[in-house]
Amino acid sequence: MGSRSGRIMLGLIAGCLLVGAGYVVAAALGPDGTTTEARPQTAGAVLADAHLMVRAVDPANPRLNGRVYEIDGGKVQKRSGDLACERVYYAGGRGICMGVAPSGVDYRAQIFDSRLRPVDELALTGFPSRARVSADGRYGATTVFVSGDSYLQAPSAFSTRTVILDLRSGERVGQLEQFAVTKDGKPFDAVDFNFWGVTFVPGDSNRYYATLGTGGDHYLVEGDLPTRSMRVLRDGVECPSLSPDGSQIAYKSRLGDGEHWRLRVLDAATLADHAVAETRSIDDQVEWLDDRTLVYAYGDDLYTVPASGSGAPQLLVRDASSPVRLEAST
Amino acid sequence: MYQVEASKALLKPRLWARQSARLRVPRNVIMLGTVSLLTDISSEMVATVLPMYLIFSLGAGPLVFGAIDGTYRGSAALVQVLSGFSSDRWRRHKEVAGLGYGLSAFGKVALVAAGNTVGGVGAIVAVDRVGKGIRTAPRDALISLSSAKDRLATSFGVHRAMDSVGAMLGPLIAFGILFLAPARFDAVFVVSTLFAVLGLAVLILNVEGRPQRAPREGAPPRLRAGLSLLKDRSFAPLLLAAAGLSIASVSDALIYVGLQRTIDFDPAVFPLLYVMTAISFMALAIPVGQLADRVGKVPVLIGGQALLFLVYAVLLMSSVGYLALAVCLVALGGYFAATEGVLTALAGAVLPDDLQASGIGILITVVSLGRLVSSVAFGALWFAIGLQSAVLVFAVALAVALVAATPLLLRAQRAPANG
Repeated sequence: MGSRSGRIMLGLIAGCLLVGAGYVVAAALGPDGTTTEARPQTAGAVLADAHLMVRAVDPANPRLNGRVYEIDGGKVQKRSGDLACERVYYAGGRGICMGVAPSGVDYRAQIFDSRLRPVDELALTGFPSRARVSADGRYGATTVFVSGDSYLQAPSAFSTRTVILDLRSGERVGQLEQFAVTKDGKPFDAVDFNFWGVTFVPGDSNRYYATLGTGGDHYLVEGDLPTRSMRVLRDGVECPSLSPDGSQIAYKSRLGDGEHWRLRVLDAATLADHAVAETRSIDDQVEWLDDRTLVYAYGDDLYTVPASGSGAPQLLVRDASSPVRLEAST
Repeated sequence: MYQVEASKALLKPRLWARQSARLRVPRNVIMLGTVSLLTDISSEMVATVLPMYLIFSLGAGPLVFGAIDGTYRGSAALVQVLSGFSSDRWRRHKEVAGLGYGLSAFGKVALVAAGNTVGGVGAIVAVDRVGKGIRTAPRDALISLSSAKDRLATSFGVHRAMDSVGAMLGPLIAFGILFLAPARFDAVFVVSTLFAVLGLAVLILNVEGRPQRAPREGAPPRLRAGLSLLKDRSFAPLLLAAAGLSIASVSDALIYVGLQRTIDFDPAVFPLLYVMTAISFMALAIPVGQLADRVGKVPVLIGGQALLFLVYAVLLMSSVGYLALAVCLVALGGYFAATEGVLTALAGAVLPDDLQASGIGILITVVSLGRLVSSVAFGALWFAIGLQSAVLVFAVALAVALVAATPLLLRAQRAPANG
């Protein structure tokens, strides 16, 4: 029995080695599977004077890293050389490009300059979700989804990590989960704290707003970087985004307990808020095209809607996500 | 001490001969270890890349991944009791285990052929877990029946060490492939399938299905006999002790999260915690098994459980240096080496030969239910009174469980099988 089964085993091992090695070599010689060369398409008259940076989306495979494009007065120009991202943001001469590392199994954040050349790189510990840069280009914030550290291992419990970066030195300033939080003047802490969706205050990059998720609540918090502290402002606000003049905050408001949201806008001073005319569920950190107009991704496309609550959503760019307002043409 | 060493050196040739005789592990155990090694390479390759594959290639949201991950963990639950009893009843441990390994291998093939939808991946993952649930009890029964009763712990130590080598190699191979062929998950699935097929082939061609202690005569056991294990004079105390100890032990996943919150290290080094624990486990599993065969399984089991106190102590420290972290991870590896395999070996020694798989299936289920209770309780305590107080509560619970379990385990070990 020994020799016959031995021969069969040897044959099997040789066959498996041959097939496995052959397949891997063929795959290695094939095209890079991490990045798409898809191109965004402008859509119609709304564009007028919009000036944006976007990430290209391949509708057949929306999670692939997309190239970075600039859209200026209806013209679509490819801006990035090698830069390809899952999420991008840019302001004040510095940008963050979050995406899949070349290995295809790790995520990374590249910091890039005004000519979209990578100047620094950091490993990310999870799936890219949100990116923001302060208006002066000093600080950046990244949010990633992390699996496997929910303390109860509940099937749907996913946690997030939000890190503040110093974009000049490329160093981490801190992780929001480690900052002190107060609510109604008293210290506030729980094991299940998760933070996401940072937006920096225009004109004061030491200050920011973000979402704090704990239990079933989603609090708007206002943070101060030098003191590494945050205070809770109100409940029911996710992915806040400050208008260029700093007076209004666009955000997504959760419907019930599910994964459905409506866009709303609140006054940063009075915290009074109203809905906008978009009635579909939007899961994005909204961007402001100007002080009156929101821009956001739905499906594989970008739409705009007036912040006032009037009007109606309009298609802006096809096959794009991660919209970034750029200042007047240079 | 010097003299003792010197006289030992004189005795060395004879000691060495005796030692190697004692190290000898039945061929069947090595073969079953090889099957597990190959199968674990295959499963861990897939488990490593599955989150990335789902989110990145299939465009699933992180929440979908969470749900599939839950299926991955949960779907093996009670299958093992059933498969354990059936393999005793039919006296076909190898065939039932083969069905389990076959299902997992089929899952890998299906992943290559039809793994391009989120629902498909979910179903395949569930099939894979059911396969794991089916094979565990009959496989452990085969290990037990292939070994002399006084070498059980060594056999299980060897098997568990080989198993964990596979679990270490799997992710390395997967990353290696993706390094050569970025984002080509199909290549990972193809290679994973090949390893699963090789594992199945070793089982079919090289594992003896009727090892030396396998019962051949007399009527096959009835369901009532399987159920009566629950009140068996020696097995019931063992089950009770295992349940108590598993409830009082914080799961490793929670320990890692706790360490992370305590230590405040770079999250990027998180995977290193698993690796260090696995290396410690791999290095200790065989010597600890030999020790258990020499000095008795119960003292080793109790000592291994007590290593958790070291881990709890580190979790209670207000600032943890790298030395304390290393001690904690080595202790954790030692705890795994001295508990799971040794407990199964003790069950193998206590159980009648014709109910090995049934008993082991019941034991695994009891232990995993105990772990579930422990995780939920620890999570709730952590949320309610904080990490350190929760650890203190569990340390007290572990002390109580150890005091209660020791006489139960000794009684199990003393009572004659089938008494």
